[in-house]
Amino acid sequence: MFHLFKYHYRSIFVRWRSTVTTIAGLALVIAVFVMVQSLAVGIERSSANTGDPRNLLVTRQGALSEATSVVTREQFNIIRYLPGVARDADGTPLASGDTLIIVNLPRRDGTGSANVMLRGIAPAGRALRPQAALVEGRWFDPGRREVVASRRLAGRFANLQVGGTFKTSGQTFTVVGIFDAQRSAFDSEVWLDADEARSAFDRPDYSSMLTRVESDAALARIRQTIEADRRLKVKAVREVDYYKEQTRSAGPIKWLGNGLAIVMSVGALFSAMNTLYASVGARTREIGTLRVLGYRRRSILLGFLLEGAMLAAVGGLLGCAIAYLGWNGVSTGTFGQETFTEVVFDFQVTPALMGKALVFAVLVGLLGSFLPALRAARLPVISSLKSA
Amino acid sequence: MTISGFILKNAFRNKRRAALCVLSVAASLALFVTLLVILDFFVNPPEDIGASLRIAVRNKVSIAAPLPVRQRATILKLPGVEAVTSLTYFGGNYKGEENTYFAQFGIEPDQLVAVFGEAKIPHEQLQAWIADRTSCIVGADTAKKYALKPGDKFPLVGVLYPIDLDLTVAGIYQGTTDDRNVFFHQKYLDELLGDPGTVGMWWVKARSAEEVPGAIDRINAAFANTSAEVLAETERAFQLDFISMMANVKVLISSICAVVVFALALVSASTMSMAIRERLRELSVLKALGFRRHELFAFILAESFGLSVVGLLLGGGGTALFFAATDFSSLSGGFLPASLAVTPRILGLAALVAVGLGVVSSLAPALSVARLSVVEGLKTLD
Repeated sequence: MFHLFKYHYRSIFVRWRSTVTTIAGLALVIAVFVMVQSLAVGIERSSANTGDPRNLLVTRQGALSEATSVVTREQFNIIRYLPGVARDADGTPLASGDTLIIVNLPRRDGTGSANVMLRGIAPAGRALRPQAALVEGRWFDPGRREVVASRRLAGRFANLQVGGTFKTSGQTFTVVGIFDAQRSAFDSEVWLDADEARSAFDRPDYSSMLTRVESDAALARIRQTIEADRRLKVKAVREVDYYKEQTRSAGPIKWLGNGLAIVMSVGALFSAMNTLYASVGARTREIGTLRVLGYRRRSILLGFLLEGAMLAAVGGLLGCAIAYLGWNGVSTGTFGQETFTEVVFDFQVTPALMGKALVFAVLVGLLGSFLPALRAARLPVISSLKSA
Repeated sequence: MTISGFILKNAFRNKRRAALCVLSVAASLALFVTLLVILDFFVNPPEDIGASLRIAVRNKVSIAAPLPVRQRATILKLPGVEAVTSLTYFGGNYKGEENTYFAQFGIEPDQLVAVFGEAKIPHEQLQAWIADRTSCIVGADTAKKYALKPGDKFPLVGVLYPIDLDLTVAGIYQGTTDDRNVFFHQKYLDELLGDPGTVGMWWVKARSAEEVPGAIDRINAAFANTSAEVLAETERAFQLDFISMMANVKVLISSICAVVVFALALVSASTMSMAIRERLRELSVLKALGFRRHELFAFILAESFGLSVVGLLLGGGGTALFFAATDFSSLSGGFLPASLAVTPRILGLAALVAVGLGVVSSLAPALSVARLSVVEGLKTLD
């Protein structure tokens, strides 16, 4: 059996021209598949990356996202002073009433404009989100129309670099700093002081509130209190759980990736079949010899299936390599369905994704080599030895 | 034997290979056409008949920020403006659904015909809708999906707003580019929200196409330096703005198109050269008989050309028929609009790719045949 394996392994390199095109065709299919799926992975990763398990996020009942939620100041104050809410060194509850505002800003490359999420946060809001670290400039001063933008957004929108200004709602905002939120959902936001946000955009209420709890037991207790209190028509979930749910935009992308992979692999399948049929045809005498040497029909069948699988595996590996080297970590953005703003994320070519792609490639190889392998196994011994 | 007969015989000498070759070209072209249809939908959305007269007015901050009701009277008084209606996106879910794909808008019913004239609705249904504050009109596609008829209940659960709408279907309209939308009374929404004094957007109809640019300037100027500055633009510009929010999707799809075409060229070029290599001996015989290089090249070209054109008919034509025969709107549960179609421009592009493919894939074999010496070719066994 080992010799047979070696025979097929070497055969791949004998007819290298047609082999190379087959491998390249399949590699392109796999590269496209991995590339598109890595977008979906990127969106999911960015969501899964966000938040702190000790934080509790409060939104209006029925609101699917923070952007469409309203938390009144009364609700904010009730929840802030519930027992079990963590406090800072001065004894102030660690809670931030956030105001989310969608503003339309021009793109850096001049191809129109898109929505950007402005998040007004209290000083505690920054302490609750240590993921976001300043990388340039300084944080905004409360009481001033100053903002700090994420590094990724600064790369995509005009005037979001340090020192840049933009005008919205009749106010001029100055960018005083750039933060990096380690590939979390906060990378798609611009932050400013909560009270500034509420006054500049004329918002009496908050959109959501984020608070730290002392322990898991306190978290359960607070959630219970909130649900039992009929004045509070809000829901409280762990911040990490909230962000895990925010992956609706990944759905259509996965759908597109799978559809593309299936249709493109049909094309690649036909090409692989062609190559292998030609290969079987050209090796008729060799196959006859193998049979005379005592190899069974099923060994021949298996051997050619193996050859197809090997071809496909090489193509798959190549495709993964193209996708990984070409796109892994590259930043991109699209319209976020939950936030109604531009969400920025990375292509994430993960090992799991590449594994999936390889399995897919080998399946295509097996499928494409089955009919040719069957033909090889059924060749009559004597006449195949006689053939030219 | 005639020359065309000779080419035909050659092309189908190995029927299996010819079939596989045609099928792989067809599959790739089908994908190419489908991607172009999707791309077209993003880049070049369908336009309503009345679109050239319509102006969309949104809050300058963003589309998510509301506009004060008091602006209505100011806009209506501006020269060049014929009619105004509010249009407020409700964004709710049909009762029991998690992801409702049709959009719902609060609107001023008596202004519907004045502003969105292409919506065709029976007169008595329109009157019934105007008369009943809690009723709505439903696009024909949505009505079909949920099997709705006038008089049916149509409850919507609020997502953006903390309220639910208990609507009754008053009528069914059609004739717009997106017959999925649902329209209800702006007043009903205001009432449930406790009269917030705001609307989502204003949609304005200009008196004539010539007056559109002037009207846009006047609307923008009328609210400059007020607490609610507006951005007025043509319906077309508004649509394109909306699409530009999709960001890198356009680039993504176009680059996939390019990869598909490249993979296609690779695959069929290799198949073609396989077919030619197999017959080097015959081609040498032809050469020995006195056929010239350009004649041999013509044979090869005609063959590869023929194969890719059959692939085009199968892949491109098949996809066009598929799109024409399939109701994407109902297939995708209302996620896609019904207006997806293979346009002549897309078919032309696919034909161009097929022709290019025929030429490119015949180049390599033609070159090797041209270089081939007769003696060498006759000696080849494989």
